[in-house]
Amino acid sequence: MKKPIASGKIGRRTVLKGAAAAAVLQLTGPFVIRARGETPVRIGMVDPLTGVYAAPARNEVIGARLAVAELNAKGGILGRPIELLVEDSANDVGTGVQKARKLIDRDRVTFLIGDVNSAIAQAIAQVASEKRVLHIVSGGHTDTITGTDCKWNVYRVCNTTRMESNSVAPLLYKQYGKRWYFITPDYAYGHTLQEGFAIDAKKLGASILGDELAPLGTSDYSAYLIKARAASPQVLIVLPQGQDMVNCLKQIVQFGINKAIPVAGAQQELESLEALPPEARIGTWMFEWYWKQPGVPFVSEFVAAIRKRNGGKVPTARHWFGYTSVYSMALVANREKSLDAVKLARALSGFELPPEVKLQPNRVYYRAGDHQLMTSAFVGRAVARGIDDPEDLFQVLEVVPGDKTAPPVSETGCKVRWPA
Amino acid sequence: MNSRAGAARQAGTALLWAALLLAPYWLPWVGGYTALGARVLVLGLAAMSLNFLLGFTGVVSFGHAAYFGLGAYGAGLTLKLLAHSTPLALFFGTLAGGIAGALLGALIVHLRGVYFAMVTIAFGQVFYYIAFRWNSLTGGDDGLRGFARQPLHFAGYAIDILNNGHAFYYFVLVCFAVTVGVMALILRSPLGRTMLAIRENERRARFLGIPVERHIWVAFTLSCFFTSLAGALYAMVNNFADPMGLHWSLSGDLVIMAVMGGMRSFWGPLVGAAVFVVVQDFLSSITTNWMSFVGLLIVLVVLFFPRGLLGLAQRRGEA
Repeated sequence: MKKPIASGKIGRRTVLKGAAAAAVLQLTGPFVIRARGETPVRIGMVDPLTGVYAAPARNEVIGARLAVAELNAKGGILGRPIELLVEDSANDVGTGVQKARKLIDRDRVTFLIGDVNSAIAQAIAQVASEKRVLHIVSGGHTDTITGTDCKWNVYRVCNTTRMESNSVAPLLYKQYGKRWYFITPDYAYGHTLQEGFAIDAKKLGASILGDELAPLGTSDYSAYLIKARAASPQVLIVLPQGQDMVNCLKQIVQFGINKAIPVAGAQQELESLEALPPEARIGTWMFEWYWKQPGVPFVSEFVAAIRKRNGGKVPTARHWFGYTSVYSMALVANREKSLDAVKLARALSGFELPPEVKLQPNRVYYRAGDHQLMTSAFVGRAVARGIDDPEDLFQVLEVVPGDKTAPPVSETGCKVRWPA
Repeated sequence: MNSRAGAARQAGTALLWAALLLAPYWLPWVGGYTALGARVLVLGLAAMSLNFLLGFTGVVSFGHAAYFGLGAYGAGLTLKLLAHSTPLALFFGTLAGGIAGALLGALIVHLRGVYFAMVTIAFGQVFYYIAFRWNSLTGGDDGLRGFARQPLHFAGYAIDILNNGHAFYYFVLVCFAVTVGVMALILRSPLGRTMLAIRENERRARFLGIPVERHIWVAFTLSCFFTSLAGALYAMVNNFADPMGLHWSLSGDLVIMAVMGGMRSFWGPLVGAAVFVVVQDFLSSITTNWMSFVGLLIVLVVLFFPRGLLGLAQRRGEA
């Protein structure tokens, strides 16, 4: 004759169910499709918003959003507003592939942008080509994207790793000597970048004493650095990026290695230099775009516009990548008056960026043979403290045009096969 | 009352199959997409395969991603290097993971509890690092690309599962149904009953003269075969395989799916996988902190529904 403990009408389970139902309701909101006047043109963007490349990825998104806002104020694409859908690839290839499929299958995007991580960029390029969607790789550098794995629908804004090594290798040879040692991130980007340096070394007559392959996301470089010091090279070439670069340079300075061996590398980014303590801002590098370009038209306007959206901070190369990716798609679609992927991909071959988008002194265009953007390399030195501006952390020595740093199309191994 | 519970269960199963069969048609209405449905099926199959061991034999493996990933790489490498045939890729993928499971299982069946779990993690990580390091074959950290599932040929008929998302979904569903059917048959057979006996009381089973180690090995091997079939299908969902498919964190995800859905029920892990995949898919578009929400969900389920989401429903049905 025991009475149930909860004799009221609302039991524990009802409360739990109610809570669960309420939780589910929170999720249902975004699915409701609101009626819109003009259906927007959707651009999907897959970038690693979490993980070691979070900072550059977020900046690419800010750049892309600025371009979307500017374009929408001017009438969008073919008179339709542009909608940017951003997905986090979490710096994981499988997730990136899933997100690319989601954007294409569910959200029906017309264009795809991404990813900072070369491996993800390459994997989603495969998805995009399978689904026939025009894809611009904003920030993944590995050669094969516009090399042996090039595809009719895939274009790239950032440099190839060969362009990066070609831009700095002669300077390293002249300044420091011919005995090189590498610390290389162990994935597509690092492998191809080091291969590029190896080709340059052969041409210049330099020798590679050794290399240390560090997995992505390494936090402790001490074992690699000890071996590098023992080899006593004339220059230590540091190739990891993002947080890995920050950790590696910090430890180089902590161990005092930079006092004995000069440090250099290929790509350096403002994001990394800003994350470093002043004493660790060392070395000779190349920037893919730099915000301080006196006398170059439209640069100061771009810097001011990004500052407004970026908490007062100046744009980095990543902002420019995102910005340029969106603009390239919109400009070519408006010129061709079409959204057809094949037609637009053909139109992008040889497409030259106007001054308000290229934001650099040299001529900038997508090379027809391999779909690579011929963008300049800003070669120079890291500066411990900015003089005029706290973010002026790089002294540009030379701006090398893209067609000087890029190997000829015949060397890239790219043969673009167009769909029938 | 028993018959009423049985009828309710049958109705539930029928409803489930109807939902799965019609998924490509109702998914877009609730904001899903067909590829998501295929993903749920594949991960659900993997979680159910794990649960074959976890829930029905009572042995905890934290290394099932190894066999999942081996299945994926096996299928991918078959398509890339051996033959452009989807069935052959499935076959070799399943074989790769299954045989690895059979061999490793033989080494570790005498271990119990946490020791068993630890060794399964260790073996899993061995495969992860092999895939990570063997750049020339597996593509290393970049993953294995350059292969795609191939159209199916049936006596002159070709079914294009590559470009037709619906056709591929139904292909996955058929594979899923066959595997799940085999699993259910085994669980109803004397072998399955013996596995339950081992789960309930290993010492008693031993006193009854049951060769416990051999049965655990059989259960482990079967579970690995099923898991690697799921892995092979996963490689075809993405046309891609990467080392994260072998990583212990995926093993953990599979255990979470099984526990969240309900370890003691046959369909529980599928429900868990559906919730996990869908929540991940939606939340990660809204916030970059989606992992915290998934974590919170798991904590809530473990605290309030210790028998899993489906366990709760079943207890209500029986009461």
